[in-house]
Amino acid sequence: MTGPASRGGPLQGIRVLEITKVWAGPYAGKLLAFLGAEVIKVESLTNLDEMRAYGGVDINSAPYFLSINQEVGSVQVNMKSQDGMDLLRRMIAQCDVLIDNLRPGAMERLGLGYDQVKEIRPDIIQLSIKMYGNDGPLGYQTGYAPCFAAIGGLTALTGHDRSEPQGMNIRYGDSTVGASAAFAIVAALHHRATTGEGQFIDVSAVETMSAMVGDSLFAALNGGAPVYPVGNGHPACAPHGCYPCRDGQWLSIAAESDEQWQAMCQTLAIALPGFENLTARLGSREAIDLAVADATRQREAEPLAEQLRRAGVPAFRSQSALDLVGNEWLWASEAFRLVTDDSGNSRPVIGPGWRMSPDEARIERGAPNLGAQNDYVYRHLLGLDEAEYTDLKMRNVIS
Amino acid sequence: MSALKGLRIVEITEQVTGEYAARLLADFGAETLKIEPPGGSPVRAILPDEDQDGLLFAWLNTNKRSVVIDPDAPEAIGLIDRALTRADALVTDLAPEAAARLGIDRDRIADVHPHLVRCAITPFGETAPDEWQQLRAINIINASGWAWHSPSEALPDSPPLQGPGPFLAAFEAGLEAALATSASLWRKRQTGQGQNVDISAVATMLSRADCVLGRMLAGEQDPSHARTCYDMGGPGRTFACADGHVFLIMTTQAHWTGLSQLMDAPEWLLDFPPDWLEFHCTPDRVARFRQHFAEWVAGQPRNALSDKAQRLGVPLVPVNRPGDLPRHDQFLHRGFFQRLGDRVYPTVPYRMSASPTRIATPAPVLGADQAMLS
Repeated sequence: MTGPASRGGPLQGIRVLEITKVWAGPYAGKLLAFLGAEVIKVESLTNLDEMRAYGGVDINSAPYFLSINQEVGSVQVNMKSQDGMDLLRRMIAQCDVLIDNLRPGAMERLGLGYDQVKEIRPDIIQLSIKMYGNDGPLGYQTGYAPCFAAIGGLTALTGHDRSEPQGMNIRYGDSTVGASAAFAIVAALHHRATTGEGQFIDVSAVETMSAMVGDSLFAALNGGAPVYPVGNGHPACAPHGCYPCRDGQWLSIAAESDEQWQAMCQTLAIALPGFENLTARLGSREAIDLAVADATRQREAEPLAEQLRRAGVPAFRSQSALDLVGNEWLWASEAFRLVTDDSGNSRPVIGPGWRMSPDEARIERGAPNLGAQNDYVYRHLLGLDEAEYTDLKMRNVIS
Repeated sequence: MSALKGLRIVEITEQVTGEYAARLLADFGAETLKIEPPGGSPVRAILPDEDQDGLLFAWLNTNKRSVVIDPDAPEAIGLIDRALTRADALVTDLAPEAAARLGIDRDRIADVHPHLVRCAITPFGETAPDEWQQLRAINIINASGWAWHSPSEALPDSPPLQGPGPFLAAFEAGLEAALATSASLWRKRQTGQGQNVDISAVATMLSRADCVLGRMLAGEQDPSHARTCYDMGGPGRTFACADGHVFLIMTTQAHWTGLSQLMDAPEWLLDFPPDWLEFHCTPDRVARFRQHFAEWVAGQPRNALSDKAQRLGVPLVPVNRPGDLPRHDQFLHRGFFQRLGDRVYPTVPYRMSASPTRIATPAPVLGADQAMLS
């Protein structure tokens, strides 16, 4: 009963336990696994990740769950039983990192507040994700990703019309919170290496969204920027936007320098005297946008984008979900790649934003079946004998 | 003491994405040396602020030092090499060709500085076609699908939207770069060896949609050109209220019951089956709900209503404006904003018990630390 085969990667040798649900917490765990850490998700039939239920009846083939939790292991523990909690504490003793994104107060009720976890393993790095962080006057509140974006200031700055905040697509936010959490964990590993100290990291999902508009917050608070949505505008670039093309296509163009402006005008066969310098262009964004849109409207987006890029103008056709799924470069560069799940089925998934060499962590295994790592965790990590292990299963402590 | 103290980063960047990545490492205490050309980073000129450098630069470059190296000078590569010899990591967002001119391309670094973690952030990765290397953040967010599918319920004749400003994709790629670089530095700590970290901004944005686009890749949901195919359905959106906007999202019968209490059960609610959000959420009902709710909420105060809603279990929250946040009780409690000199800075979204972060120095004046080169 040996451990999982080594996959290489920079975080090889780091073991992470996650008590996470839905998206932000699991996404943090996944990124650490993609970097080579051994990540084990604590689950139980009586307290399932909702994502195992969405969009299907089989908890081992739920689409949302399968599309997030690759290269993560699963161990079953009944956290409603005292014996289960004892076992969970023994697992924590074997781990470098503990992640949760349960509701405010839930970890404390389980006896897994930082003070208690630190007793089990003094140098543990414990990270907890809550909407508003763990404490404070509003620490009790909960919400979904678009709530984080609204409270954190991102929604107020996002939209086409300055008087109507629209926000990003409603799916935006959770994964960014997870990525931000993963980064803090790696930083804390460095701190532990130099000092021997573990720590508690208290993540606010709301503030993560604020950090993503830190430029706008900083500028607004220090007297220099709009506090309303700017559509597709840019403070130092015009034209900068998405322009209509034939067949419902859109083309994004950012012409910064005077040379790019001239090259764009030439490619689009338009003449706009008086706008040769940036100051003039910045002062007449709307007129320029209208002129560019008039010139792109009857053109096909893809060849026009290519022509513009060859002329030195940053331009790319706006891609839909359908475009992305069929994009050959994304498959060839392994932004999209295949993994194999515990039942032997292969599944296309989305890889991380990085490639590393040498020693990139291998990403081959899909999301785990519930309890797929039970044997490994109980027999190998905790060293239980067969009789103890069987007894725990019989008594539904492992369930 | 900050978490990355003792690690030395050299930053050679010309865009927001690389400056942001290095800033995140500097937030955690990495000693970050910024190498700029004689005119300074192009970002210095954005959002100019009277006689100082631009506000964007001021926010992106705290806790860093600045030296100037003229890329056209014969000694440029030698000077950069000297800085890299003493460094643990290099962060760059130069296109591969420009990186090669400075001797910081992937092959040369692996050869000359094998101890170094080299992180390069580009639109599609360093092996992508040359003509893609010039793309900006607005092109990247459009290439990634997020613009096409933003905002929710985007109309076909409304342009795809870049986000809260032009740099969202640049920040996301910078965050991915900081994560991957710090992980690679962990490996260096164990093995003494460097590594090449090749960040694709587009791949980063795709990864952020893993359970939306990923289900389409796997054939569980049909991918389409519909602007709305990332949406969730349901009545969630922003609504104008008496003193601004609120955001409401509801998905369950419990939310509906809570909302009924919040509104003192107006009669029109009876037209909706109690479990409509879960089982009968038709576009027609969503539209009717929104019409009624918009009328009601138009007269309500933003913060008092949000507090009351939370107590009733309804996810209704204020749409905060930038100026609201520094006075916000929770932000004050957590110390998210920090004053340094005469400016107020948003900081990091976490509190760390053993290695808190701090903005110690403002963005450097161009070449302020030139002596470090000697």
